[in-house]
Amino acid sequence: MALLGAFSVEPRGSDLVAVCFTAMASPCEVLLRASQLKVARELGECAAEEAWRIEQKFSRYLDDSVTSRIHAHRGAAIELDEETASLINFAERCYTISEGMFDITSGILRRAWTFDGSDRLPQAALIETLLPFVGFDKLKWRSPLLELPIGMELDFGGIGKEYAVDRAYDLLARNSAGPFLVNFGGDLRANAPPPRGRWQVGIEKPDREGEAKMILELERGALATSGDSRRFVLRDGVRYGHVLNPRTGWPVAHAPRSVTVAASSCTEAGLLSTLAVLQGSRAREFLSEQGVKYWVLD
Amino acid sequence: MQLTRVRRQLMAASCALLGAGAQSQEAAAPQKEDSLLDRLLEGVSFDSALAYYREDGRIQAIEPVVNVSKTFADGEVATLNVTFDSLSGASPNGALPSNVPQTFASPSGTSLTTGRHLYTIAPGRLPADPNYQDDRIAVAGNWDLPLSRLTHLSLGSKVSGEDDFVSVSVNASIAQDLNGKNTTVALGLNNEFDLLRPIGGAPVPDSDYAAFNKNGSKTKNGTGVLLSLTQVMTRHWLSEFSLSWDRFHGYLNDPYKITSVLDSAGNTGGYVYESRPDERTRKSAYFENRAAWGQMSAGLSLRYMKDDWQIQSDTAQVHLHWSFANRERYLEPSVRWYRQTAAAFYTPWLTTEERSSIGNGNQASDSRLGAFHAFTYGVKYAHKLSDAAGLAGSEFSVRLEFYQQIQDHRLPAPELLQGLDLYPGLRAILAQFGWRF
Repeated sequence: MALLGAFSVEPRGSDLVAVCFTAMASPCEVLLRASQLKVARELGECAAEEAWRIEQKFSRYLDDSVTSRIHAHRGAAIELDEETASLINFAERCYTISEGMFDITSGILRRAWTFDGSDRLPQAALIETLLPFVGFDKLKWRSPLLELPIGMELDFGGIGKEYAVDRAYDLLARNSAGPFLVNFGGDLRANAPPPRGRWQVGIEKPDREGEAKMILELERGALATSGDSRRFVLRDGVRYGHVLNPRTGWPVAHAPRSVTVAASSCTEAGLLSTLAVLQGSRAREFLSEQGVKYWVLD
Repeated sequence: MQLTRVRRQLMAASCALLGAGAQSQEAAAPQKEDSLLDRLLEGVSFDSALAYYREDGRIQAIEPVVNVSKTFADGEVATLNVTFDSLSGASPNGALPSNVPQTFASPSGTSLTTGRHLYTIAPGRLPADPNYQDDRIAVAGNWDLPLSRLTHLSLGSKVSGEDDFVSVSVNASIAQDLNGKNTTVALGLNNEFDLLRPIGGAPVPDSDYAAFNKNGSKTKNGTGVLLSLTQVMTRHWLSEFSLSWDRFHGYLNDPYKITSVLDSAGNTGGYVYESRPDERTRKSAYFENRAAWGQMSAGLSLRYMKDDWQIQSDTAQVHLHWSFANRERYLEPSVRWYRQTAAAFYTPWLTTEERSSIGNGNQASDSRLGAFHAFTYGVKYAHKLSDAAGLAGSEFSVRLEFYQQIQDHRLPAPELLQGLDLYPGLRAILAQFGWRF
């Protein structure tokens, strides 16, 4: 497969190298043992290609993506490939489990909201007109046939990055014996501790973009973070975060600005952190009930 | 939403997604099934070396070494090291050169006058058994396992066997990281059991060489403790300090070493087997500093050792590590200086008066127990290979070392031995070729 973008190899300490590239609008890196530089480079390339493949396949912004094809065939059933079908199945399971709080059809609500830090609030009427076009239960889905009703949209953004981490992880795990960490824009997964100590992972703190990061240590497993300090609407002292409740069309009140969850796969960690943010003020309670390790920043 | 059930359901859904995806991908690009060998070799690295060692005019050795280590997914590391030594050549027997020919018996001999096992040393030459031959195989295993994020346990065992010597040792150490991993303290314990089965039997210490008073096998045991502290001083500077103590008891003699007995003029009146104390306690302190800047790093280490045989030794070593060509090659020159004082019972020879007065005292003429100083000059060059032939990450290295030992303990030679080199010292070279992959 041809390379879709550039990547660089940088030393990290004496034992590790980072293969860095950009995918899904995020800085991505794969950390690997430096002792076998050529192998590390090949594995990093492998992970980058997988990230780019998934981005190309599911991006809403690329005309030849599966998502664009589904959008182009609104109102008619189309047959999906196995990978896309399993993602839709997964989205359906998440929709059911979360009782409608996680919904890959909710992206359309963003038309009403511009999370640019300004004080622009949408007209309630606009939200009301969009809500009929939100709801996974409105899709006609019988794998592998999907019919997207006219006026609706699909968005894999809520699971795509975590899914890409797990996919790249599987690829590396099959082709590498040494320890590695896959980090796509802060969602990450590692197979084993690095040669010395633990993986050090920086999680951005709200309001201090780019600088003071919270450092987490990880031996193996996955971490995913939901919430974003940079995307919000501020009005009358109330901060409306970018996580929308698909059932109301409004941002979740008192949502934590950032929730990081540790789980065995990145997909699972990502869903748990997203669902926690959707719980608003009950995020911590929700996470405690799940028996997972988590870090919440308000 | 029933909170407690969310995670389990999500886990199941994730598994379904990731499992299904993996299958579809494999179907699209079928992968070679990993063979059992491939799976066994996962996380395995090999380090092999072949060393050639030669002492000037004496023994030579060829030593292949293979080190295999496997890192498991949970961070445990298992290491197996196999070393084979083949020594041959002339091994000094401890007697002094003389102005007349001297006849000795090989260890298997039973008489100094008849038999096939005799060798004669020309006047002025250092007596050495010309037919020395010994093969040794040593197997060491080590298992390193993290007990927690900050605590590591290491367990190891080593077995080594020669024709006339078997050694078994076990060791355990525990290391604790403190202070944000900037400090590591470690405690190690070691226990060794040795069985000596000298060719022809173990000589009775201090017995007359001509009496062939030898019997059977002997044993010795050792126990050691090591306490170490490693501290990261700055980003570029690491310090290590350690203290160790060990104690051996049992038959500590070299069963093939004898001491010349001279009269006042220097005539050799006979030889006696060496007689070392049956206990030895050593204490040592070690201090090492390593610093790195850019492509260079340097290390300075100092060791002080003192034992109850009254040997004190000092070691200083400096090494430089210079990597170049995008860190694919490096050069490592090193210099080591060593000095030791003599054991209380060391003597190059015994006089007939001493022989009659000392009786069953301790004595040995083994130059390794005498006072000497030594230099080692070494250089290592390594080249990392990254070609397309599947050798990615392998490293070839060549090491050359030159060792020179100079005896410091010099009694004035008796009249008849003047002009002979009674303290020949030792010069040796070592060449090693390594391949790591």
